[in-house]
Amino acid sequence: MSEGLPLLILYGSQSGNAEDLASKAAKQSNQLGLSPVVKGMDEIQLSELPGFQRVLIYCSTWGEGEQPDNAEDLWQTASADGAPSMAGCHFAVCALGDTSYEFFCESGKEWDGWFEKQGATRLVTRLDCDVDYDKPAAEFTTEALSHFAAVGADGVYIEANVGSATNDSSTDVPQSIEESSESPEEVELVGAGVEELLVSGDRSLDILFGSQSGNSEALAAKIAKQAKSYGLEGTVHDMDGFDFNTLAAKKRVIIVCSTWGEGEQPDNAEDLWQFANSDAASRLEGVHFAVCALGDTSYEFFCESGKEWDGLFEKLGATRIVERLDCDVDYDSPAAEWTLQVLPNLAAVDSTGLFHEDMVDSINQFASGTSGAEGEDGFTVPSIETESIQVEVSVFRYDPQTSSTGTDTWACVFPGEASVLEVLRTIKSTHDGSLTFRDGTCDDPSTVLSVNGRLILPGRVRIDSITSTRDDSFKIKIDPIPGSEVIRDLVVDHWALERKRESSDPWMVASTREGFQTSQGVMGTMKPAVATRLHSLTDYDSAPLLHASSDAVPYANGFLGPAVIASSWARRCDPRTAPEKKEKIEGIIGSKNGIKAETDLAPISRREGYSPAISEGLLEARTRALENDSFNGLHGKHVWWYCWTIKSSGKVNDTVLYRQVLGPIGLLGNLFSGVTARMVLGFTRTGGSILNDFLGMVAPPAGIGKMPRQFNSSVDDHHQVVAIFNEMDGRF
Amino acid sequence: MALKYAYHPGNVAHSGSPEVAETMTPIARTLGLTLTPLEGATSCGAGIIRQANRKLQITLNARTFAMAESLGLEILTPCAATAGNLQEDLDSLRNDPLLMQEVNDILSRTCGMTFSGDTEVNHLLHVLVDEIGLDKVEKLAINSLNMRVAGYYSPYIQRKGACGEDDVHDPEYMERLIFAIGGTPVDWEGRTTSVGTPGLLSEEGTVLRQAAAVLSEAKEEGAQLVVSACNLSHSVLDIYQGKAGRSSGLSTNIPVIHLTEMLSFAMGHHNTRFAQLRTRVAVIGD
Repeated sequence: MSEGLPLLILYGSQSGNAEDLASKAAKQSNQLGLSPVVKGMDEIQLSELPGFQRVLIYCSTWGEGEQPDNAEDLWQTASADGAPSMAGCHFAVCALGDTSYEFFCESGKEWDGWFEKQGATRLVTRLDCDVDYDKPAAEFTTEALSHFAAVGADGVYIEANVGSATNDSSTDVPQSIEESSESPEEVELVGAGVEELLVSGDRSLDILFGSQSGNSEALAAKIAKQAKSYGLEGTVHDMDGFDFNTLAAKKRVIIVCSTWGEGEQPDNAEDLWQFANSDAASRLEGVHFAVCALGDTSYEFFCESGKEWDGLFEKLGATRIVERLDCDVDYDSPAAEWTLQVLPNLAAVDSTGLFHEDMVDSINQFASGTSGAEGEDGFTVPSIETESIQVEVSVFRYDPQTSSTGTDTWACVFPGEASVLEVLRTIKSTHDGSLTFRDGTCDDPSTVLSVNGRLILPGRVRIDSITSTRDDSFKIKIDPIPGSEVIRDLVVDHWALERKRESSDPWMVASTREGFQTSQGVMGTMKPAVATRLHSLTDYDSAPLLHASSDAVPYANGFLGPAVIASSWARRCDPRTAPEKKEKIEGIIGSKNGIKAETDLAPISRREGYSPAISEGLLEARTRALENDSFNGLHGKHVWWYCWTIKSSGKVNDTVLYRQVLGPIGLLGNLFSGVTARMVLGFTRTGGSILNDFLGMVAPPAGIGKMPRQFNSSVDDHHQVVAIFNEMDGRF
Repeated sequence: MALKYAYHPGNVAHSGSPEVAETMTPIARTLGLTLTPLEGATSCGAGIIRQANRKLQITLNARTFAMAESLGLEILTPCAATAGNLQEDLDSLRNDPLLMQEVNDILSRTCGMTFSGDTEVNHLLHVLVDEIGLDKVEKLAINSLNMRVAGYYSPYIQRKGACGEDDVHDPEYMERLIFAIGGTPVDWEGRTTSVGTPGLLSEEGTVLRQAAAVLSEAKEEGAQLVVSACNLSHSVLDIYQGKAGRSSGLSTNIPVIHLTEMLSFAMGHHNTRFAQLRTRVAVIGD
């Protein structure tokens, strides 16, 4: 490898963004014959700087216009008296910042001014980036490097040489398809015409997905990855937020779209579909397209959304390159075959929009000849581009030292695909280092948070899928999960849940093993349906999330909670568990801190993040607990008499329920606690017949009023209700 | 064109919540809703029958669905618990063909009817917003509510597929409705939190703490009135609020009315009751 022109790339970074840009610039500079040295500002002495003729700086700004931590010492030295002259040095500065702060990009400005003051030559005007810095920084880097490459070994900058630097073929950077196709072997293999086509001009392929469950999105990503083999640069776009009119300038477009409900567009496609059908939508002459429609033949409007897009593109003047594919639920294989047909055809569209049908076979040859290199040339899964959104992030704060609580709010701009966890990390690194939350991998169960009323694992949820758009502004409200003690800010104490789990005695006591006799002993077997059910009963992302889904947990002292009970019930249903252990588990589940302490199962069944089988399992556990008690006790009586009153008349009879469940003492308690008075008077409610109310009083213990009647009238055809009860449950 | 529904009043409209039954009739007339009472419909089970026998509750509700289907109508109810329980059982039947077959066999033997899954369950709130339109409701409101109102959804209708186009976890239909009839909606967390109604008679201590937390939060956020979309939760929030306040030490005194009462007052029915409510709002509280 030949020695290139030395380039010092310095970064002053607080959150890692500037360091990341510096690393990217280093890779890019290799291709221009430069020899980069990347250093943090705390890794270099000021006296070393004059030794470099080329210095590229990336520097963020911290707090109220302060240098980032790793740049502070260097800046103090540089701004003191006696700083060295930088004459003969060429420099460029990329400043990172946030326009919501008063001192925007202050640190970068200071370094820019310092180099100039010390006699260095500015090659490129400083770039001041806002939080959405990716694109402008990339453009700046490209421009700056081309200028640095024009500074010769003698330190003379020759402007005419800007942009003329060639790629260094000896670099370690993976070769692009354009480069690899220059190899003589491949030219011989596929012929010069194909080679020229596949490396010339615009080779972009835009893949739009409309997805409800994620299948279309995944398929779009697969196609984009595969497109590389056909000399196409695939970019996947979420239909949500995509600017339809940009398609007019495209040459190749693939639509992957599922159908939702009764032939409706998926949620993320709805807005684009509306716009595409409006008068404001551009014509699409010059666009070649193909549509893959995902659907389900059991629905009447099979693949309707995909059909609609297919028809619309044709109507707007686009050219269908391959017939639409309508996929059923088992779409993998047909979609893969269709992709193999579509990509060579789209690859045969040149940068002027002309379709070279005669080259499709050659392109297929080319693709098959280079497919062996897949994975070796380092291409990556394309990123999914979404619009950046301005979002108001409100975070619950709690300081245990002062016992003070409150909410902090930041207005930020994030790419729509950023996860909630990434948002918190960014706020912590750029705005408030004291913000405390549990960090971890995207599926770390301990990271669970409440965001806009949802219980989520923050690393798994994109902000554009959870933001509230009330008042025409995007808002995210982040709170700690309910039902656990808050330690600081968003961090709660999970040990309370762990102690409850321990108290449920979660140790396996196996029954005598049964199964096939083998030479190595008995091999246990389990029916697939049983295994599936056991898995479903514990199929949750996070035990703290499931625990927090109960609205009773924060108010029922000692309640084991749904997570502990669900796993206990799964062990109870496991055929490998010993009978005596099953009995013990049933005892724990049926105890006062077990399933009976759950006042309402509805909040658990409505949440997401775990299998519906879990709430069904909790209901089964409750049924078993009641049956084990023979419907005695308050819980059992409540359920038993409720069923009895329904069988009796079809309607619930509150009077009977109160009388039978609470008994005389309970009713007296209600009388003296004012509950009965409120019932009679309808204390805060309005209306009702007072005479009817007092009727209950003359026939004690009437129980409650806005007084319910002592005896219900029966529903029409009441005999049918009785027949159903008799058929299904003779206990009542 | 009049909107027609099969009407299920909820579990306790015939007994503990007569005001719901009394106010529903006039507002339906004003809104142009044609309601055909399901006179043979049983209780939805309130999530309690299923604790004894899940299939029994599903079968009883399937009978209700079959009656609505025979009328060719969708079901409407003003009770969130009823809407939620019916919807949950409807989903269970639709998602499990074997269960539907089994239930239909029983219905056929016992009642001479079957159920195909064609009906839908609607809560009044969602019909108001999605079908009638709040602009029309606003025009029909002749009495401005002119209060700070906390809308209570309960958890029952806030589930996927059961809350119209509203957000399951961060709803706004009730707030939009309150605003449309001249009230000031209060933003609060407790609006979808359970007050533990199914456990009232068996876990009273926990239920009182749950109810107290919801009521006190509404007050802390500045509400003068709580409006409930659920008949069952309404009873707990109203009848037990004094006891809940005493047992928890929280401030819980606040008038609680049902959604149908609020609409009735706004549309000029029961003006004397509205006057009583204004008086109560003025005198109740800290």
